[in-house]
Amino acid sequence: MAVKDAPIDMAEMLAGAHHPGAGAVVLFSGEVRGENKGRAVAFLEYEAHVPLATAMMGEILSEAKQKWGLTFAVAQHRVGRLDVGDTAVVVITASAHRHEAYAANRHIIDRIKHEAPIWKCEHFVDGSSEWGNNCNCHEVTGDYSKHVYSRPEAGSFPAQ
Amino acid sequence: MKIHVYAGLKEYFLPEFELADEVGNIDQLKACLLAINERAAMLLAACRFAVEEGFIDNNYKFKSHETVIVVPPSSGG
Repeated sequence: MAVKDAPIDMAEMLAGAHHPGAGAVVLFSGEVRGENKGRAVAFLEYEAHVPLATAMMGEILSEAKQKWGLTFAVAQHRVGRLDVGDTAVVVITASAHRHEAYAANRHIIDRIKHEAPIWKCEHFVDGSSEWGNNCNCHEVTGDYSKHVYSRPEAGSFPAQ
Repeated sequence: MKIHVYAGLKEYFLPEFELADEVGNIDQLKACLLAINERAAMLLAACRFAVEEGFIDNNYKFKSHETVIVVPPSSGG
């Protein structure tokens, strides 16, 4: 399952990445931070429209595999309550050489975070909570369907 | 028509509710939703819409008794 309400088993996911043609395997893990914008985070609650999110993640992975010639690409996102330090999302990519695995991995996690119908509610230590930190790319692109994946400060990843 | 909303939209609407009037397209649906709670205007402007088969665009014509999913911006970050 790409979207699940149970802890993500990274080792199990990673086991599938080994391939005679893969000289590089990249694993990204998105974890729950205990602080956001100066506020202490108690826990997060992720919600998703599971059928739509699963379908979209499948499309994103499939497109990335083709674009970068990956030997392996998989992603899982957790929903429900996550405590600080828990793993919220994992993306693993494998390819012949590291450049493709890194680039594809970055592309996949960016698209999942900006496009997949998965939402995060932050619950703070002070008892408050808010659905926040959502995608606001439209403020830059002027179009709710266009997202910003190119960050000059982060290196030369292709804009989509 | 059944409406399902998620995340921050639940601060303005019930998670699931039914519209008595049938609406034809996304623009009409937005107008109906704003009539229920105009405070949702800014968030609704950023929402995508979907039906069971997937995301839809502004040209989509709703079928009778269709379930519509109102999709606020994703978690981002």
